[in-house]
Amino acid sequence: MQVSVETTAGLERRMTVQVPEDRIASEVDSRLRQLARTTSIKGFRPGKVPFKMVQQRYADQVRQEVLGDVIQSTYFEAVTQEKLRPAGYPSFEPKSLEQGKGIEYVATFEIMPEITLAGFDGVTIEKPVASVTDADVDTMLETLRKQNAGWQAVERGAADGDRITIDFKGTIDGAEFQGNKGENVPVTLGGKRMIAGFEEGLVGAKAGEERTLDLQFPDNYGYKEVAGKPVQFKVSVKQVEEPQLPELDDAFAAKFGVEGGIAALRGEVRANMERELEQRLSSLVKQQVMDKLLEINNITVPQALVMQESQALAQQMRENMQLPADKSGSLSPSMFEEQAKKRVTLGLILAELVQCHNLKVDADALRRKVEQMAAGYDQPDEVVKWFYADKRRLGEVESMALEERVVEWVLGQVQVTEKSQGFNDLMNRA
Amino acid sequence: MNQERLLKVLLAPHLSEKSSVVADANNQYVFRVVTDASKPEIKAAVEHLFNVSVDAVRVSTVKGKIKRFGQRMGQRSDWKKAYVTLKEGQEISFMGGE
Repeated sequence: MQVSVETTAGLERRMTVQVPEDRIASEVDSRLRQLARTTSIKGFRPGKVPFKMVQQRYADQVRQEVLGDVIQSTYFEAVTQEKLRPAGYPSFEPKSLEQGKGIEYVATFEIMPEITLAGFDGVTIEKPVASVTDADVDTMLETLRKQNAGWQAVERGAADGDRITIDFKGTIDGAEFQGNKGENVPVTLGGKRMIAGFEEGLVGAKAGEERTLDLQFPDNYGYKEVAGKPVQFKVSVKQVEEPQLPELDDAFAAKFGVEGGIAALRGEVRANMERELEQRLSSLVKQQVMDKLLEINNITVPQALVMQESQALAQQMRENMQLPADKSGSLSPSMFEEQAKKRVTLGLILAELVQCHNLKVDADALRRKVEQMAAGYDQPDEVVKWFYADKRRLGEVESMALEERVVEWVLGQVQVTEKSQGFNDLMNRA
Repeated sequence: MNQERLLKVLLAPHLSEKSSVVADANNQYVFRVVTDASKPEIKAAVEHLFNVSVDAVRVSTVKGKIKRFGQRMGQRSDWKKAYVTLKEGQEISFMGGE
């Protein structure tokens, strides 16, 4: 087997491989003999067909098969012989495929780039520092109260934000239409759930009052027959209720399933916020580390890998959006090329870092990571079990942990400046 | 003998385990022939088509199988098989096409 490699451009290599005929011939022969033992032709019992006949009938077909296999296996042999690390799948170009002359083919592929990692001298990373203050907790509790507002009937005109209960009947030129009536319908003023003008027209109405609204259906109304037509609604208001914020007391805490009164709820909320903050902080730092790594290491990545990655990304996006396969034209992989390139580059850099500096995740660290992830759920023990039940899920966690380990290591190598920020600033800076 | 008739006599080579055995052992080749073919006709046809010289011809009429179709009995057609022995040193190759 003769191999010669030439560099065409950048990372692309053209490898010409010559395979002698006897290698192919012997393979073809042994396969035919194998075939003769089982093949059945009319007039012969299986395995009793004369070899010559098998040869005559199947030789070409078998040779094609063998050629494909030989190209595959010699390609890998040649690659190891030349000590190349190909990225992606090569494209083959057979040159001569005549009988009795051996074959010669050209494989074109890209190789993995040689990565030399840049030093971390003079690289600084800004690490945000923040803590959860009592004021932050108060704001959060206030939000919770608003979300759990109750309703209290009042004897005054309805105002914005109030909930009213109404009966209504709509007519177009005196005629009724489908879905024109409703009884005991709750409407939140300012909720923008009804057609334009409906809610506005009811502001100031008291319980027991009747109003007539002259409105117009919007042109793009869902129900075609009435879209764009003027309509008259007779509305009778039955009840007006105003929102009432619940008191911050033990009953409120119990609503969230927290035992031990309001103090416990505070503690719970605080713990949750702190966990979120921590995650946010570490993801910010990680983002920065990754960006810096990309910035200082300028490497050329094989196009084949980028293509693969962008296709995977497009596929993922398609699945998320649940597009049918035939609509895939609107999501071409080229849209993701930039992102894919970044990911591939980072992947290569990280792999190199891990290898160069022998970074590892031990079992304890992995366990801690899983427990940390599980802490956000109601039953952490179950979640931990769930993670450990499946090798692949655990593998995902492990790669995350490894990533964190790398970030940690990089942080040890670079200068870190701290910068304190408020809780809200950090959380809202998405 | 009529040239047109000669071209019609041989129907197909008969390939089977037995035919390959006799080919190796006795230099005999087996053909399926029209049922009304005579030995001299077969001899002439083989000599004409394959350009060989024939030593002897043996024939046998193979009876068609009797098959049942529901209540009725059916009869497949009989056909004639010819064993053609070539003179020493001669051979016919059915393989490799025309």
